Amino acid sequence: MLGRDVAMAELYVKPGNKERGWNDPPQFSYGLQIQCGGPKRSPLARRVPGPADGAPQAPTPANSAPPAVPAALASKPVGPPPLAVVSPALRPDAAKQVASLAEEECEVKVDDVLAPLNETLSMCRNIVQKQVCDDISRRLAVFRELWLQGKLSAPVRKRMNILVQELQRWHWDVADEIHRSLMVDHVNEVSQWMVGIKRLIAEARNLPPGDLVANDDQGAGAQPAEETL
Amino acid sequence: MATYLEFIQQNEERDGVRFSWNVWPSSRLEATRMVVPLACLLTPLKERLDLPPVQYEPVLCSRQTCKAVLNPLCQVDYRAKLWACNFCFQRNQFPPAYAGISEVNQPAELMPQFSTIEYIVQRGSPTPLIFLYVVDTCLEEEDLQALKESLQMSLSLLPPEALVGLITFGRMVQVHELSCEGISKSYVFRGTKDLTAKQIQDMLGLTRPVVPVQQGRPLQPQEQPPISSRFLQPVHKIDMNLTDLLGELQRDPWPVTQGKRPLRSTGVALSIAVGLLEGTFPNTGARIMLFTGGPPTQGPGMVVGDELKTPIRSWHDIEKDNARFMKKATKHYEILANRTAANGHCIDIYACALDQTGLLEMKCCANLTGGHMVMGDSFNTSLFKQTFQRVFSKDFNGEFRMAFGATLEVKTSRELKISGAIGPCVSLNAKGPCVSENELGIGGTCQWKICSLDPSSTLAIYFEVVNQHNAPIPQGGRGAAQFVTQYQHSSTQRRIRVTTIARNWADAQSQLQHIEAAFDQEAAAVLMARLGVYRAESEEGPDVLRWLDRQLIRLCQKFGQYNKDDPNSFRLSDSFSLYPQFMFHLRRSPFLQVFNNSPDESSYYRHHFARQDLTQSLIMIQPILYSYSFSGPPEPVLLDSSSILADRILLMDTFFQIVIYLGETIAQWQKAGYQDMPEYENFKHLLQAPLDDAQEILQTRFPMPRYINTEHGGSQARFLLSKVNPSQTHNNLYAWGQESGSPILTDDVSLQVFMDHLKKLAVSSAS
Repeated sequence: MLGRDVAMAELYVKPGNKERGWNDPPQFSYGLQIQCGGPKRSPLARRVPGPADGAPQAPTPANSAPPAVPAALASKPVGPPPLAVVSPALRPDAAKQVASLAEEECEVKVDDVLAPLNETLSMCRNIVQKQVCDDISRRLAVFRELWLQGKLSAPVRKRMNILVQELQRWHWDVADEIHRSLMVDHVNEVSQWMVGIKRLIAEARNLPPGDLVANDDQGAGAQPAEETL
Repeated sequence: MATYLEFIQQNEERDGVRFSWNVWPSSRLEATRMVVPLACLLTPLKERLDLPPVQYEPVLCSRQTCKAVLNPLCQVDYRAKLWACNFCFQRNQFPPAYAGISEVNQPAELMPQFSTIEYIVQRGSPTPLIFLYVVDTCLEEEDLQALKESLQMSLSLLPPEALVGLITFGRMVQVHELSCEGISKSYVFRGTKDLTAKQIQDMLGLTRPVVPVQQGRPLQPQEQPPISSRFLQPVHKIDMNLTDLLGELQRDPWPVTQGKRPLRSTGVALSIAVGLLEGTFPNTGARIMLFTGGPPTQGPGMVVGDELKTPIRSWHDIEKDNARFMKKATKHYEILANRTAANGHCIDIYACALDQTGLLEMKCCANLTGGHMVMGDSFNTSLFKQTFQRVFSKDFNGEFRMAFGATLEVKTSRELKISGAIGPCVSLNAKGPCVSENELGIGGTCQWKICSLDPSSTLAIYFEVVNQHNAPIPQGGRGAAQFVTQYQHSSTQRRIRVTTIARNWADAQSQLQHIEAAFDQEAAAVLMARLGVYRAESEEGPDVLRWLDRQLIRLCQKFGQYNKDDPNSFRLSDSFSLYPQFMFHLRRSPFLQVFNNSPDESSYYRHHFARQDLTQSLIMIQPILYSYSFSGPPEPVLLDSSSILADRILLMDTFFQIVIYLGETIAQWQKAGYQDMPEYENFKHLLQAPLDDAQEILQTRFPMPRYINTEHGGSQARFLLSKVNPSQTHNNLYAWGQESGSPILTDDVSLQVFMDHLKKLAVSSAS
């Protein structure tokens, strides 16, 4: 994921689905998974050599092991924890766990998001098969419907807004990554229509440069949003 | 010798190779007396961020029976532009392009730091990758919906030029024709009758494209037949239609009456998938991805009948020879797996159900082809969804980690031969001077095929020293081996990775201490374990344990320092000291103990064990345990009941599970809510620390592990208690007057008792 996108990406961890899977692991957002870049030598890879001869002895063999704990703390009514300073985890730069699952406010209006999408679509109509364009158009309509019915969550609406801005700037890869992160993190909300956005980005990036008219050139030629309905 | 640890680590980082012995005994007789065979773990596509591939063809030895690749071990005459092959000693002329080389202007492949090097080569026109989804529709509504969404999501993760196809199955098998026209067609097959590849291809109307070729002229790109068929279309063309098609998938319409299982024709579905790809795209990278929510109950490959009152076979049933369908079903899938591997394709199995799904019978599909095996409880779980996403994970260059169609060839210097390999591969039956008659694992060959692999895929390769006893060690003597892996990169480029290594010979009689010091106990443990698991899958369980024990005793007899018949005098040097512990834990592991696991679970664990790299394999054998407390930074502790203390938090990683266990006092503090009080913020940090450390593992491991958060007295604590060495049990709790640590309620032998027996047997003059 491109550097500045990390800030815009959703970074969260949700608990797994305990009802369907015992001990289901937590669910990481797409942004968090991409950050990692893949398997590295884990910090949790060290072992303590056991007593070389395995002889029964105190569980604190000479060359290793945690300091012995006074038995008094082990059971019985317990006092409060000590106020000692705790060393940080082995990974002090633990991934940000932005627990922003609470509904954020999203002030964006649907037509502000749709307008650039429809513009891009109309630019494609010269080159791209009618059937494909109509299909995309149909899905944009579904997207609009769902938005107006309040069925799209705030993160989806926010990130779609960012997506279309990137699209307008011809940042195809960034727009594509945002579509991907939405598909992964919110598939149940977006699966019906997101593939249309994906296709739109793919077709737009392949347009010959002349067909990609800059946004401020769009005057009377802009397709009104109603046409898609 | 501390320096050997560094040597071992550097070699692993550079070459992806770990040898059991790093100084090699120079005669056959002495090598067998070493007990642990000379063998290595090889990770052919180890991720090397610092190794840019070179864009030219490798230079090969001109001897027909050799053809080794030019490498840093070769002697070079820069003036005469000649090089001597280090394997067969043939003198070869450098190709014209090398005219400018000199001592100060060496090509990369001659430099020692490029003992591992990767070439990008042209081999015909690149073919797209293929993903064929084979989807079970006999799922609960919630599961089917989740699976559909995951498949729709995957269309955004697939490479745009890849071809994708869909087969759904239940009682019948439907092959979907993918078209961009609105109407979707499908071909329906009965799930009860198996068909030959030819029948499938005929019924689907697939004919091999026939293009006349002029003598001696290769096909020009525009003449070649279009690379797609009606059933496999490029993602970028078909994604919208396929999204809709997936969205419209319904549960299998055939009603399932009370007391019955759904009729699931997995065997025929897979057969059709294999036949479809065989007829359209042989010899190109392809994944057949099987998603199933229950056992095959109909047709060839059925694993259990449709009556629920007949349970699916357990280990007990198998031992009593009471598993009706097992042999026939296994055979069905083995034939399919072998055909698939021969075609260069792989089969993944994504099995999500609360009961078994027949992984035991179907495991060869994944094991022989290098495909994945994922086992979960439901498709609507984070474990499945995220594991599935990670199939499409990308490396630092933004390229997919998955690779296809690999062939591995191993060459050795003449004092060594190859006994075999164990891992996710099939034999290519390539005979040659390097091939030994004594087979270990998949033997009788010096070439194997790995149809699907990734940067962690690791093969175990076993060698045999063939030098006769008393034959002199070659002067300045080093033995050598070369590993050449040709494969299809995810970008569809063809690449060749070449690793060439050498190690010193030593006379075991006079230089045993050098051989000893260079022993890699971690590699040896994993190599022996793979051998053990390989045997366990083909023999009776107790025999393997006896064999493992015998080998351990012999090793201790050979390398221990002791006075005869005096167990207390027994000592092992540092390079062997961890090995008995590894063997102790291996004996208790789910790879060799089937008790408490279903046959499917055992197959699942063994599948992953036979392909992971050394670090992960060791974690599986002997889980890692870290302790968190107020008294210092987090630290590794013994995997022992004495490490379970009231004021500690433990984090255990078994590879398949991450367990966080709160000691009794910690749990009480948590219940009392101290973490929410600002003055006890340090306690909050303590609780958080293991979670943060676990996160990196959870974020990257494939497959995603289960996550168990438990505490003293919790029922889930059993995952920890069953793994730790039970040095304190209900039998010996008061024997030492120790009060720390938690007793484990078990009759299992502890490490201490195990070591006692081992020492007694090793020092005994009667053995």
